[in-house]
Amino acid sequence: MSAASETAWAEWFSPEELGHFRRRRSIDRWFGRLLPVVFLVAIIPILDLVYWVSQRSLPTFTWAILTTNPTGNAGGLYGPLVGTVYLLLMGLAIAVPLGILAGLASGVFLPHPWGEVVRGAGDLLVGTPSVILGYFGYFALVLYLGWGASLLAGGVTLGIFMLPYVARTSDQAFSSVPTDLRDAALGAGARLRQYAARIAFPIALPQVLSGIFLAAAIGIGETAPLLWTALFSSYPPTQLSEPTGYLTGLIWNYFDEPPTFGTEVTLAFQAALILIAIVVAMNVIVRVLAERSRRKLEGLYG
Amino acid sequence: MIAVPDPASLAPAPAGFLEVDHLSVRAGARTILDDVTLNIPDRTVTGVLGPSGCGKTTFIRCLNRMVELSRGLRLEGSVRLLGRDLYDRAIDPALVRRRIGMVFQRPTVFPSSVFENAAFGLRLVHASEEEVDRRVEDALRRSGLWDEVRDDLDRSALSLSGGQQQRLCIARALAVEPRVLLLDEPTSNLDPQGTQRIEATVRRLREDIAIVIVTHNVGQAARISDRVAFLHAGRLVEVGPTADILERPREALTEQFITGRFS
Ligand SMILES: Nc1ncnc2c1ncn2[C@@H]1O[C@H](COP(=O)(O)OP(=O)(O)O)[C@@H](O)[C@H]1O
Ligand SMILES: [Mg+2]
Repeated sequence: MSAASETAWAEWFSPEELGHFRRRRSIDRWFGRLLPVVFLVAIIPILDLVYWVSQRSLPTFTWAILTTNPTGNAGGLYGPLVGTVYLLLMGLAIAVPLGILAGLASGVFLPHPWGEVVRGAGDLLVGTPSVILGYFGYFALVLYLGWGASLLAGGVTLGIFMLPYVARTSDQAFSSVPTDLRDAALGAGARLRQYAARIAFPIALPQVLSGIFLAAAIGIGETAPLLWTALFSSYPPTQLSEPTGYLTGLIWNYFDEPPTFGTEVTLAFQAALILIAIVVAMNVIVRVLAERSRRKLEGLYG
Repeated sequence: MIAVPDPASLAPAPAGFLEVDHLSVRAGARTILDDVTLNIPDRTVTGVLGPSGCGKTTFIRCLNRMVELSRGLRLEGSVRLLGRDLYDRAIDPALVRRRIGMVFQRPTVFPSSVFENAAFGLRLVHASEEEVDRRVEDALRRSGLWDEVRDDLDRSALSLSGGQQQRLCIARALAVEPRVLLLDEPTSNLDPQGTQRIEATVRRLREDIAIVIVTHNVGQAARISDRVAFLHAGRLVEVGPTADILERPREALTEQFITGRFS
């Protein structure tokens, strides 16, 4: 606003009003100036991490490490990479259907007491440290059920770990469908179940998918639920009952080796680089899906 | 399914058509509806009039058990259709809502085509294609929307105007052949032309079914309703033929409301 127009306006306002808004505006400006600083504080550690990992992994990076198994103190990442994919897929096979059901229970059927129970259980599970889940998997699945340290026990434990993330994001996705639509569907004679399947699910789908990728991105970086349940192996698993390797386990095992074992440390950094790349890719997918869902809901409100 | 026998076959009529009997609704210690008793006749437009916050929406949502979706509300009393208690444990609320359809304050179409919106309730029971086609056309004609959409039933329902969307919502309710249609301030978000078309639709529908329409607009109640029930602070103040209530109210509260002393 030019000085001339400001004086023209000034006669319409009391000095107190003008003073108040001038102060507000200067506070706004200060916040505006602080933003880049906040941004730097957030981005510098991330850039530093990526730089640090890249510097130690890229110089010796060859595509061959993706297709060779780790050997004693060298080799590649093939076995643990395949193990990671298998563990993640097994975990999702559990977390996705159960998580969506739980999300439906709390996001659509909430007036029913079960909805509250499910939401509460989910919150409890999110708050449980993953080490505890690892112990649970070890005692319940590995020992008590006698599955042994295996792809099965690791996958199921990882599934339980990811379950509340899928449940919570599905809950939010279903809850964000306007209740007007629920009322409209029920007012036309639908059951809640029919509303959930025909109206809420299609509208919530992008957000549910975004939650699944988010859960996967969190799950793929976990070590604690797997250390005692999947144990470790350098080779790709061929059976559900075999122990399996995974990228975080390889990092855990090799990272703190003494410097004389240079190649092992390098391998750990290369595993970290691949993990970072996967997680970044998943997060991009999460953002794209979330944006799509936002547009979809905006379209509804018209 | 609730059988809905022809009223004439129930001779001597054991009861009225849609009867509300000592209905109270409470939220915690608060009373939202206080001992409302009222008979809603068939093939009649019953206007529910009252200031905002007096319990009109809660009342109308009790008539087809939509109220059960709101958390924390307790009901007492009963609502009967042709003598049957709608809140009977043996009765499926989804079936109640098919015979007592509802249209809301804000037009809420689903993000699909005009045709699929109208067909929604029929798809739920896997009606045959011919039946769906026939009933969708019939419902769109009855709601007064057919001539405006017949050339392009596949267009998105979201592309319709607000007034058209609201008539599509009426068609969606009509497609499953309700005996009662509940309308909760259906024109409060519409322009005068959209309002006028909904009112025309309501007057035509009363030939076949009972209509309960909530409004806080005295003029609208005068134009379209045969009977008026006036609610205030959760109580039914008085009910009777429109002319009696709007021109010769017995209660001072009613008079104050219709002469615009509060709204
Ligand atoms: N689920 C609920 N819990 C608590 N209070 C409610 C609930 N629903 C409605 N009310 C209250 O009941 C009163 C009547 O609301 P409503 O039936 O929407 O009135 P109207 O439609 O006449 O404006 C309002 O004061 C509202 O705050
Ligand atoms: Mg209302």
